[in-house]
Amino acid sequence: MNETAPWLILFLPLLASVVITLFLQRKPGLAAMASVGAALISFVLTLVLLAQFLNGRALDVSATWLQAGALHIDFGLHFDALSFIMLLIVAGVGSLIHIYSVGYMRGDPCYGRFFACMSLFIFSMLGIVLSNNFFQMFVFWELVGLSSYLLIGFWHQKSSAADAAKKAFLCNRLGDFGFFAGIVLIWAAAGTLNFKEINPALFGTAATAAGLLIFCGTVGKSAQFPLHVWLPDAMEGPTPVSALIHAATMVAAGVYMLCRVFFIFTVPSLQVIAWIGGITALLSALIAVQQDDIKRILAYSTISQLGYMVMAVGFAAPPAAMFHLATHAFFKALLFLGAGSVIHAMSQEQDIWKMGALRHKMPVTYWTFLAATLAIGGMPPLSGFYSKDAILAAAWEHDKALFAIGVFVAFLTTFYMFRLFFVVFLGQAKSDAVSHAHESPPVMTVPLLILAALSIIGGFIGINHFIAPQFSRAAAEVPIFAPFEPFKAAPGAAALGLAAFVLGLFGAFLLYAGKRSDPIRENAAGLSRLMRDKFYFDEFYAKLVALFHDTPAAILNLGDQAIKLLVRLVHGAVEWTGRVLRLIQTGNLQTYTLLMAAGAALALYFILTH
Amino acid sequence: MSLLTLIFLLPLAAALVLALIPGNYRFVIRCLALLATCASMVLAVVAFCKFAGRASAPGFQFEEQHAWASSAGISYHVGADGLNMGLILMGAVVLFAAVCVSWRINTREKEYYVLLLLMGGGILGAFASLDLFFFYVLHELALVPAFILIGVWGAGKDKNYAAYQITLYLSLGALLVLAGLLAVYLQMPAGARTFDIVKLTAYFKANPMQAGAQHWIFPLLLFGFGILVSLYPFHTWAPTGYGSAPTGAAMIHAGVLKKFGLYGLLRVALPLMPESAQRWAAVIAILGLGNIIWCGAAAMRQRDLNLLIGNSSVAHVGFAFLGIASMSLIGFTGAVVIMVAHGFLAALTFALSGYLRDELKTLDMDQMGGLLKRLPFIGTVMIMAMMAGCGLPGFAGFFGEALVFFGGWARSETVTVLAIWGALIIAGVYMLRAIRSIWHGEKDWDNLADLTSFKRRMPYGLLLAGLIVFGCFPRLLTDHITASVTPVAQLVSAVPGGPR
Repeated sequence: MNETAPWLILFLPLLASVVITLFLQRKPGLAAMASVGAALISFVLTLVLLAQFLNGRALDVSATWLQAGALHIDFGLHFDALSFIMLLIVAGVGSLIHIYSVGYMRGDPCYGRFFACMSLFIFSMLGIVLSNNFFQMFVFWELVGLSSYLLIGFWHQKSSAADAAKKAFLCNRLGDFGFFAGIVLIWAAAGTLNFKEINPALFGTAATAAGLLIFCGTVGKSAQFPLHVWLPDAMEGPTPVSALIHAATMVAAGVYMLCRVFFIFTVPSLQVIAWIGGITALLSALIAVQQDDIKRILAYSTISQLGYMVMAVGFAAPPAAMFHLATHAFFKALLFLGAGSVIHAMSQEQDIWKMGALRHKMPVTYWTFLAATLAIGGMPPLSGFYSKDAILAAAWEHDKALFAIGVFVAFLTTFYMFRLFFVVFLGQAKSDAVSHAHESPPVMTVPLLILAALSIIGGFIGINHFIAPQFSRAAAEVPIFAPFEPFKAAPGAAALGLAAFVLGLFGAFLLYAGKRSDPIRENAAGLSRLMRDKFYFDEFYAKLVALFHDTPAAILNLGDQAIKLLVRLVHGAVEWTGRVLRLIQTGNLQTYTLLMAAGAALALYFILTH
Repeated sequence: MSLLTLIFLLPLAAALVLALIPGNYRFVIRCLALLATCASMVLAVVAFCKFAGRASAPGFQFEEQHAWASSAGISYHVGADGLNMGLILMGAVVLFAAVCVSWRINTREKEYYVLLLLMGGGILGAFASLDLFFFYVLHELALVPAFILIGVWGAGKDKNYAAYQITLYLSLGALLVLAGLLAVYLQMPAGARTFDIVKLTAYFKANPMQAGAQHWIFPLLLFGFGILVSLYPFHTWAPTGYGSAPTGAAMIHAGVLKKFGLYGLLRVALPLMPESAQRWAAVIAILGLGNIIWCGAAAMRQRDLNLLIGNSSVAHVGFAFLGIASMSLIGFTGAVVIMVAHGFLAALTFALSGYLRDELKTLDMDQMGGLLKRLPFIGTVMIMAMMAGCGLPGFAGFFGEALVFFGGWARSETVTVLAIWGALIIAGVYMLRAIRSIWHGEKDWDNLADLTSFKRRMPYGLLLAGLIVFGCFPRLLTDHITASVTPVAQLVSAVPGGPR
């Protein structure tokens, strides 16, 4: 049991995926059962192993994957507090979203394929979490990219979905390019790829470069500035996919990876990480304020929250980052599933300005969505307040400028989330579709309720206490249930964070309560357009790619044509020579005699003169 | 009789028998071709399993040697080590798959199968041979049918030119190789002259070839073998040639035949002339990078699927050249893994594009789109193949490329970083664009038939299985490859001026 359970956690979802792909494509019921079952069993096994881990049992397993000379690559599973937190999120929240999908995806002609991809994703994601070395992590890193690609492009007949999938994969690839170069650099410097054996002291001058290259992986996967552009488009995938992959787990993998390899980062690289996180948080929060598509608002919100987490790592506070990662997984998954429930009820309408007054139509969705909105806004005593406060407190200590950005983003977060909330659930109905809306079936609402409970109490279930000892020996002696602790530990940060929440809520109420159209758009058209068009990153990148990739490719392709032409010329020259020589072969005896005589005369001339 | 002899003799013998059967016994002809190649494949699998099961050690297994023309130093000598066992397995699987997917051929079947079997059997024999004479002659035997196959059963308006071009290019390469091999032979003292690779290697290890001789013989072999593998800038024959070739021929040529040059470099050129190899390493690296970047960029511009695959296959070969140029154990191992992986991959992609060509009557990607809905099997397999083509883990090519990067880093960080760019970004761009324009999108089709029967799906499955098995369990290949390339790596790294 002890030896096989770790492998089972990882490989059961893969097994489910393979079985569904090969045999259950036409049997939707069984496919869903296999997929949900695999995720649930993985979750239960994680709990079993967690119990053993808490009893002090060593659970790590490892085997040699590849060995060539000095290069030794392991395939191993590593269990510690960090990986358990992530395992619980991936398998736990993953299971809930799987169950929700059973209802959400019902009736789709490719039901089986959906669950095969979902299981493939769970497998790849668990692989990232459990990897004990860089190489294996990169392998699974690419595989989550693949499953994300397959799921964004799930409705591949839709051009927008197919384009979004391609864009997501390529943006991730850009990050992975740096990531892999960093891995090779680290291997060259340290001689090993295993997290436990790497000694950063060996890096020498390459330390900062190695750290920043590895960070590229995070920039791609966690959609950080300047590679943030793929995540909003990824919303073309089915909503459960957005909740699982593009909110709760995969995009958070970048943050997890930073925490996992935290020991390689130098002070300058941490500085860069913190600022990239801060810029991302601010930029995407600003964009979120003026989006109209319910899923896009949530997508920009996700990027912004990921920016918070990355920033926390930059402040050398991985526990704060992981804490926020966990609570964010709860409330953001909940927000997406709630949005999915709304979209489901509104027959695939996603424009918030066509919704409104859904409070009475969908009470469960309404109340759970409210809980999540309050949590992400950071109202005490909900989970979001505590995890965000941990980050703001770290910012307060490290960098006042980033702290100011953090507080401003907290304000914006509350503002755009309540804008969404007021427009969708309150006020009057803004289209006919609202009158046909109805609450979703229990298979969808039960996961909402569970996630809502977690979002509310997430601050008090000891996530912080579980993870902190791994990073600092002097873990504070704070009880698990301590609602007022932030105000004692870092009163300034906590008070300003709370003020940002109140202001944001107040601002959203003033501007949006009961409105039928966006007042910002009417009164500040220029600013609104800039934010709505996402500061024109997409257009800028399109030009950049055309300039630096497509144009050189066209030139090199012309070069290829030139080589072919050259070959044709050689070929032509040979043929031409042949044709000329052919003229001599007249078949006329006199000509031959004449040529022979001329040749003989020439030969004689040379012999006699030399 | 050694297993290896059987593996390559079966297709050749079948070709001989087919030549004697009347051409209108079409069912018998196809059955016999299938049977022979299937038997050859099964034997190759058996040999590989036996081989992989044994502990890795330098030296050869399944060795067989018969004196033949001893006065000239020629003997029949076959044997397998880590360097060629994987290639033989891959070649046998590709040959069987190529025969399987040729069911749509309906003109001159007899001649088609005879040529296909000659091609496949010849190249398998060349890989198995440990005697330069058979090594060379069997490869020549495999080269010639390509000309006829493209000219007679080929497609496209340029097929005649393509047939001439491919044949002239490859003949030129083979000629250079012949000159180089003869020069090597003549470097031995008159009494001890031999074509036996094992003896040659041992002799030149004990008595290194004179630097002066090395420096003009090595380039002959490098560019000779290089042309055979479409080394940049001698690559333009490949995309056009494969674009016009009938599916089965393209599979064997791109998958198996093309590996001969790389194999020759590692088997003959490097161990015999390590000093020169070190000198030329930088050139090989730059040219390999040329393959990766230049041909990758060219692939990005193609709108014809076969030209895209052809360019991409040329680009992939660059990674193998980079592995060789790294002059390190890790790089060599990576190069051999790429050779095997790319064989499966190239054969698979050409098999798939051939099916598409038969169904759609065109390979213009601008006219495709939305095909996945109607061709779920072919589409899924091709998407997997294209993902393998842009270096996705889980497929064998990934490990090969990764090993090349790890091996190449010590020699040049810049070249390695550019190669990583080529592997992850350039390949990603053209593969994903191709998936987008062929399989995804709103266009709808009718009158398209997907493969539904197990029988028809099997060859694709076999090739895919090769990619996945070695992609998940790379040690099946690498343990033995490492053991076999260690002596080569030691020889080249003993040369002063080697890698830091």
